[in-house]
Amino acid sequence: MKDIFFDLSVRSVKLNFLRSLLASIGIVIGVVAISSMGMLGTNMQLSVKQQLSANVNTIMISSDVVRTTSTAGVTAAAAQGIDKSTLNDIKTSVGQNDVIPIHRGNTQFTIGSTDGRGSMYGMDPNDITKFLTIDQGSNIKGANDALVGPTIASNFNMGIGSRIKIGQNCATIVRPTVRVAGILTTRGFAPDGVNSDNAIIVPDTWYTDHYGGKDVYDQVNVIVQDISKINETEAAIDKKVNQHTQTVRIQDASSRLSSISSTLGTITTFILAIGSISLVVAAVSIFNVMMMSVNERVQEIGILLSIGTEKGEVRRMFLYEAFILGVIGAGVGGLGSLVIGYSVVSAMIGNTTYFFMPESILYVPYGMIIGIVVCLVSGLYPAWKASNMDPIDALRAE
Amino acid sequence: MVEIKVEEALTGLSMSEFPLIRLADVTKVYHLESGDFKALDHVSLDINDNEFVAIMGPSGSGKSTIMNQLGILDIPTSGELYIEGKNVSNMTNLERTHIRRDTVGYIFQKFYLIPLLSAYENVEYPLILKYKKRDTTGKAAAVLKSVGFDEELSAHRPNQLSGGQQQRVAIARALVNDPKIMLCDEPTGNLDRKTGFQIMDILVGLHNEGKTVILVTHDPKIAEYAHRIIELEDGRIVAS
Ligand SMILES: Nc1ncnc2c1ncn2[C@@H]1O[C@H](COP(=O)(O)OP(=O)(O)O)[C@@H](O)[C@H]1O
Ligand SMILES: [Mg+2]
Repeated sequence: MKDIFFDLSVRSVKLNFLRSLLASIGIVIGVVAISSMGMLGTNMQLSVKQQLSANVNTIMISSDVVRTTSTAGVTAAAAQGIDKSTLNDIKTSVGQNDVIPIHRGNTQFTIGSTDGRGSMYGMDPNDITKFLTIDQGSNIKGANDALVGPTIASNFNMGIGSRIKIGQNCATIVRPTVRVAGILTTRGFAPDGVNSDNAIIVPDTWYTDHYGGKDVYDQVNVIVQDISKINETEAAIDKKVNQHTQTVRIQDASSRLSSISSTLGTITTFILAIGSISLVVAAVSIFNVMMMSVNERVQEIGILLSIGTEKGEVRRMFLYEAFILGVIGAGVGGLGSLVIGYSVVSAMIGNTTYFFMPESILYVPYGMIIGIVVCLVSGLYPAWKASNMDPIDALRAE
Repeated sequence: MVEIKVEEALTGLSMSEFPLIRLADVTKVYHLESGDFKALDHVSLDINDNEFVAIMGPSGSGKSTIMNQLGILDIPTSGELYIEGKNVSNMTNLERTHIRRDTVGYIFQKFYLIPLLSAYENVEYPLILKYKKRDTTGKAAAVLKSVGFDEELSAHRPNQLSGGQQQRVAIARALVNDPKIMLCDEPTGNLDRKTGFQIMDILVGLHNEGKTVILVTHDPKIAEYAHRIIELEDGRIVAS
């Protein structure tokens, strides 16, 4: 059944084509804003989650911050390392799982004539391959061998056999040199705390020979074989090590994962809210156009009412008109969201793997529905106004 | 109180004696900034089934106001209006709307066709209002044919038609739901004489078919078609 009131609305929209088009553009922008913002946020969350969840089986143990109040009343916070006995306690409490003690710091270095700065990790070469992958070359063999991350390697043109002078560039001091034995694969953001992409990894002996801190580690990672036992293992460590005093802080990536996800969720909500502002603007323009339509058609409304059109039918006619504007705007906006959303995601995240996943792509229909609903809501008052006109007054209008 | 008196007066009448339309002591007051204005002043009037009545009077005497009462576009400030024995003031808005749709056909001086619809759609429109679906019975086309419109002409929009043609479409629209009452407020007022008489011929035909025709006009020649003439002055009936 073709509804005559729908026909009338279509004709009214056609008659005022330009005006209707302009009003719809507001909705187009609103839908695009909401959809692409939503997709951006979701893709960000999905890709970060994916990176994080690769290493959720790692427990990170670091020395807890110890607060000491000096007699002068100055409060100093200092992080102590994890000493040998604590390390042994950890080892005995985790059973068969791998325990990886890590030294960590920052250093300046020189390669050829270029100076740089990066992170430095010291660890047992046998531990390295338990959680890092070597892309080129081989693992550390000699005492002066090192592995480098892919970012640092490409930034400084390092290859296998390159020599890096470690320490601040100073004419009067002869600096120790390490030789690049291998280059690691890209890790991205590492939830186990070993951000190796921009780092130099040296044997723990080399590290403590040059920086001291032998048998005192900055961090100890425990790689849990059975992920379902991670909480149990953490509890065991806690019981053993933090028995009398809070000695170490025990974290795992899953708690970080959830805290980062919730932060990203907040960010997504925030950018969605910004997108919604454009819909408010769109609502105002639809309202305006609908009021114009009602005011221009006063006499026509008078005719409709005087020959027996029900109020509800007059309302319906104007709501159809708002609906048509909404559908046009939402349709164009939906297509625009796909194009613009895809571009924004690929430009800002650099990864469109998740774009077509339901969590992300559903923002397009959501945005469209919201756009249409906004139009209908904006049309409510104009439609109500039209249907409640006095037919005689409306007929007399010129 | 007036209402009670009228109801009492009516109890003695059988249904067949009850007039089709009864205005009982109807007053219509417009509230203007310059004070209240009585457009109708205690008007009482009975119109029976299949009468042909002309309402005459100078401009501003309340002719359109009385027609709007009969067409239930308006409600009296005081007094009662009965249509087919039913008191209009006791009806809901929706019931009044349905009387406008089913019982009354209204023709105006300015035609008042729906500009966005073709002649055919204008005539089909009241059928859609009534039956809530497009007309498949051919009734709209038949009524248009009876006022001299073929299929081609019926496809035109109102602004593509002459005044006389528009008034024919308006008559067809008023007729299509087969109303008992035809209200015609100066239907020839915007037409030349010749076209005006053609329109009157159509109205005479409708009266012969059994419709009750109520016609407002200034023109004594036009009023001659009617069987009864009511004269209004300053909102009062001065001759009937
Ligand atoms: N909606 C209105 N508001 C105020 N005054 C009105 C209205 N409609 C009619 N009037 C006044 O009531 C009087 C009668 O009007 P009307 O019935 O239209 O006269 P006519 O006999 O010319 O058709 C006129 O003086 C007119 O100005
Ligand atoms: Mg008049």
